[in-house]
Amino acid sequence: MIKDVAYSSNESPADYARISREINNSDYLRDVSVAFLSSYTMEILKPYIHVELAKRGLFSSTYFAPYNNLEQEINNNNSGLHSFNPDVVVIHNRIEDINLEVLTRFYSYSVDELENEVESIILRFRDILETLRKKSNALIIIINFAYTQDQVGNFVGSQLSHSISMYIQNINNQLWKLCSEITSCYVINYQQLLLEYGLHNWIDSRLYFLGRIPFSGNAQIKMGKALARTISATCVAPCKCLVLDLDNTLWGGVLGEDGISGIQLGDDYPGNVYKSFQRTILSLRDQGILLAIASKNNISDAMEVIEKHTSCLIKKKHLSSIQINWNDKATNIHVIAKELNIGIDTIAFFDDNPVEREWVKKQIPEVKVIDVPKNPILYSWALLGSELFDKVSLTREDKNRADIYNQEKKRNEFHVKSKSVDNFLEGLEMSVTLGFVGDITLSRVEQLVNKTNQFNLTCIRHTAENIKMIINSGGVAIWMSVKDKFGDSGVVGIAIAKKMKDGQWLIDTFLLSCRVIGRKLDLVLLNYICKIVKGKGGSELYGEYIATPRNGLVCDFFVEHGFDRVVNKSNYWSYNLKAGSIKYPDFIRSEFVG
Amino acid sequence: MKQVDIERLYSVISDVLNIPSESISEESSSDTIDSWSSLTHINLIVSIESEFNVQFSVEDTIDMLSVKLIRMILEDILPSRLSL
Repeated sequence: MIKDVAYSSNESPADYARISREINNSDYLRDVSVAFLSSYTMEILKPYIHVELAKRGLFSSTYFAPYNNLEQEINNNNSGLHSFNPDVVVIHNRIEDINLEVLTRFYSYSVDELENEVESIILRFRDILETLRKKSNALIIIINFAYTQDQVGNFVGSQLSHSISMYIQNINNQLWKLCSEITSCYVINYQQLLLEYGLHNWIDSRLYFLGRIPFSGNAQIKMGKALARTISATCVAPCKCLVLDLDNTLWGGVLGEDGISGIQLGDDYPGNVYKSFQRTILSLRDQGILLAIASKNNISDAMEVIEKHTSCLIKKKHLSSIQINWNDKATNIHVIAKELNIGIDTIAFFDDNPVEREWVKKQIPEVKVIDVPKNPILYSWALLGSELFDKVSLTREDKNRADIYNQEKKRNEFHVKSKSVDNFLEGLEMSVTLGFVGDITLSRVEQLVNKTNQFNLTCIRHTAENIKMIINSGGVAIWMSVKDKFGDSGVVGIAIAKKMKDGQWLIDTFLLSCRVIGRKLDLVLLNYICKIVKGKGGSELYGEYIATPRNGLVCDFFVEHGFDRVVNKSNYWSYNLKAGSIKYPDFIRSEFVG
Repeated sequence: MKQVDIERLYSVISDVLNIPSESISEESSSDTIDSWSSLTHINLIVSIESEFNVQFSVEDTIDMLSVKLIRMILEDILPSRLSL
């Protein structure tokens, strides 16, 4: 969530310049280095980017390449870009800078010629991105193409078969496709950003002609925010669960007083405002955000609305946890976190009542409490603008997450009925599949590596590109997925080992998703990583436990699994691969698919 | 006679060009202040426009390369009733 960093939220350009110099490295959570390659003087954005990243907990160092030097910077190994060795590379080429001839004489080109132009632009980008991908592990953020200031005042009723806007859209579509083929490469939808603020407000012809600056003063601030928001989304994990109130949040009015027919929820004002907010919430669920209710209400009355009110779009099946009772909300949020087995700091709370919000903030400071405006028309903006659910990519697991948690609920009910833990685990009929990390699994693996906190021995974070590099330099990275009689949990475990010397290997990463902790799956994963390392000539496997505030659960992992303590080195353990193998229960079926 | 709030103007220049307010005078210009580059000039224009809620013409923005010129151009375009 955006922190106010003790500054007001309405900074002027001069404020940005001053604050940008005052930001102190030690105050912030993480360092990030960002290089900018552009076709214009992008350095003008520096103070805005620096301050906006700081608001999001990131301390940035920046490198701005001389403009129009893309190929030189990327191809030359000694360029400023490569010496800077950034975490993130931002690429912004404006269409009028790289394709001016076509824009100027647009209608002298035939449709076929325009298609060739699109193709050659995309070819150029393919070359740039593939070379950059080979030479650098940095995350790549590319800004797509937008209308130019020449489009202002254009006739919009033209029935001509092709137009500049269609041409630009076509390039953007192709660019999108191209980026999806490049690892850790994301697009900022600049065209959409301009649409939101309006071309008229975005450009300032004076700055455009004076200094090739494509933004007005206000647009510079907006651009800084958009860049910071995207960079932050690539390195900060989104919230997993949204906890919602009911009265005056999902519907207008108070159910206990107004009754099911008196609350505001329907197709006319003001009920349509709440219905529309419910739509926004459901779209978050479709992106893998779990929904839960914490409300002070009579449960049977509230469930009647949820199940029977035709305009209540959020139904019981969409809710992963329902806490409707007269307990205080902090207590209910703890119950929700426990029920879903997620960290309390991955929960966002939305409640119209400022007293409830204050209470939760005080009782559980880790919960992300969203500032809710008084006017319900602004609810959706407040929810999405909190940036708590920003995600640069969607994995298969994201799309199915809410259903996966529903299966988990059934599993828990089954657990309660079982006589013993082994009896429960056996009854699950687990079937495990493992394989080497490859292109298809990479994005899910990257996601797990960067957000798993509890069952994670090292908590070392890697970009997808890093992981590829480990594999290419002879290391081993495997994933593990699990199915049981309640459903498919998807990829839930990762092990990465690096080759050191003379048959010695080191576990770089060993983690399990919190959904499957306690199911003895760590034994399966450990068994396989040992087997594979041994097959590659390994004789000794070393492991390290790096303590973090959240991974105390696994502090004794190595000793519990028969590793020997390495003398004179704290928290280092070793396992003799020749001496034996890790055993796991017979009732877990496993298969390695390569 | 319209008057520019000199303190406010100097504070903006100080913020953008990273120099102490006390060191700024009417005679300060892009020739005497190192940090006054073509890039920070754009920052300066945008910042002054935002602070005083005005908009300069292209010619003005090219001309205003000293504090004295900025003050004079500002005096010229500031609405008189505001007497900033």
